[in-house]
Amino acid sequence: MITRNDSKRRWPLFEIAMLLLGILFVSPCLLAVINSLKPLPAIRENPFAPPNGLYLDSYRFLFTKARLAGPMVNSLIMCIVVILALITTAPMAAYSMTRRRMASGKFLRLFFLAGLTIPFQIIMVPLLKEFKTIGAASISVLDRVAPAAGVHATTYGTAGETLLAQSGADFSYFALWVHYVSWGLPLCIFIYSGFMSTIPKEMEESAALDGCGSVSTFWRIIFPLLVPCTITVIIFWGLWIWNDFMQAFIIVGPRAQLVFVQLYTFLTDKYVKNWSNIFAGTVVLSLPVTVLYLLMQRRFIKGLMAGALK
Amino acid sequence: MNHPARTHARERMWREFLASLVLCGPAVALYAGFIVLPALMGFGYSFTNWTGWTDNPGFVGLANFRELAADTMFRSSVRFTLFETVLLTLFFTFATMFLAVLLDKLRVMKGLVRGMFFYPYILSILVSALLFRYLANYREGAINILLEAIHLDALAQNWMLAREWAPYFVFALVAWSGLGFFTTLYLANLQTIPTDLYEAARIDGAGPLKVFTHVQFPMLLPTITTNSVLALITGINLFPQIVVTTQGAPGYDTFTIGYYIYHLGVLNNRQGYAAAVSFVTFTALVAVAAVQASLLRRRQVAL
Repeated sequence: MITRNDSKRRWPLFEIAMLLLGILFVSPCLLAVINSLKPLPAIRENPFAPPNGLYLDSYRFLFTKARLAGPMVNSLIMCIVVILALITTAPMAAYSMTRRRMASGKFLRLFFLAGLTIPFQIIMVPLLKEFKTIGAASISVLDRVAPAAGVHATTYGTAGETLLAQSGADFSYFALWVHYVSWGLPLCIFIYSGFMSTIPKEMEESAALDGCGSVSTFWRIIFPLLVPCTITVIIFWGLWIWNDFMQAFIIVGPRAQLVFVQLYTFLTDKYVKNWSNIFAGTVVLSLPVTVLYLLMQRRFIKGLMAGALK
Repeated sequence: MNHPARTHARERMWREFLASLVLCGPAVALYAGFIVLPALMGFGYSFTNWTGWTDNPGFVGLANFRELAADTMFRSSVRFTLFETVLLTLFFTFATMFLAVLLDKLRVMKGLVRGMFFYPYILSILVSALLFRYLANYREGAINILLEAIHLDALAQNWMLAREWAPYFVFALVAWSGLGFFTTLYLANLQTIPTDLYEAARIDGAGPLKVFTHVQFPMLLPTITTNSVLALITGINLFPQIVVTTQGAPGYDTFTIGYYIYHLGVLNNRQGYAAAVSFVTFTALVAVAAVQASLLRRRQVAL
């Protein structure tokens, strides 16, 4: 470390230069924050000037006219339900494939590994077709069940469709959930399998001697040891799903009540296009992520680097 | 009557099988049903004239692949995708390496400065796209306002949709958002270089440049491999960034292969043909990435 220490007493010119470079690098974000607090004419005049007093109309607009609060809640719920599915199914499968003497373990690992290479464009339209088929099938099942529940065909459509509409359920969100989980599985299984090889085998063996079955050994002994890995998965996929625009846009469609789809559909609408609103939108939707990032930068970066496999 | 030991063994095997089913079942079912099956369906559709919405696609044999061979739009998408891929691979392999070496030298404000360079990576593609669209906007964008302020109005233009600038706009957007990721991979690798190597180099009288070429660069080779392969994949799969910015404009100039597949399959109901395009490019990508990884790895061993 001698090379690095001998210049320590000098004025940190190099550090200041790098800091300025960093500020220049994130300046688009800083511009967004500054300009979200200004009305449009002020942005047009000089986007670099600090805001002249607090102009909060754009933020008000987001929550009144654009009704962004609902989608924010929906996106959060989507993050939670997808992550819950991922942090249970993926480690179970990884455990079964790596730690138990399963004949097909090796084959299954390769099978899941192949999933890391499949780009979304390839599966996009066949997947839509698949979901459409499943949706139609479940409607026809509902058609038979609904009359028993006292729901009959209305102007909405068949009895099953009416039942769905009345209960406010929307199949496409379920489809999106299924897609997010299966999309996340290969990477999660890969992360968990890698981590599992660091856990000593004795722990399970003693559990087996105590008469624990494999499933309960997993939940009682292995799952609690996987916490660091689970945190990685939560950070990586939480951020990914919150930020996702493309897959939700394609699977649920432009009406999807999820944050970035809403931001896209309403901000690209020519009639409401206003840079001040756009900036306020980007600031509000990036805020939760930014706060978490500032609070636990190291964990965050580590979690996101898991994507190096994807 | 069965032998008790054999019954016991059989029962154990049965229980083992049930346990595997419970543990692996959900993951295998979801993955096989909603990733592998659609991928295989796509392969099947590449031999049909399926529109995406009709129920019975007609089998057309290799017609889609024959059409592909003569498709000028596909060729221009490939050209643009390769152009972006080359730029991005160079940038994410070399520019990020120099940045990482510089960031590694920081003695104060380490976390702050690194955090700044990483930050855009955590933003949604849509957020970074909107920010860049603002910067590049012709009448209201920051770049043109800045140019006007320093009396260079003549240079002002629509940076996103001007023919000669659109490719660099796409590049800048992807480079800006991905920079932190690739730099961090290098930074992590730099931490693993033992300090006595630096000391030995110093005793031999090596300056910063020599330290870089003789100590850091060789030690960074594994990450150079990883980063170039990841950058290649990023470039070839370029797609959502196009949807939220240029949408292929001006003309068909910024059509990437991914956007072309989306254009055919989702926007123009030519799923059969789109499936053929995706399979040809996917096969090519896997082949190129495998060759690149093995070449770089061999070189790494040789050094």
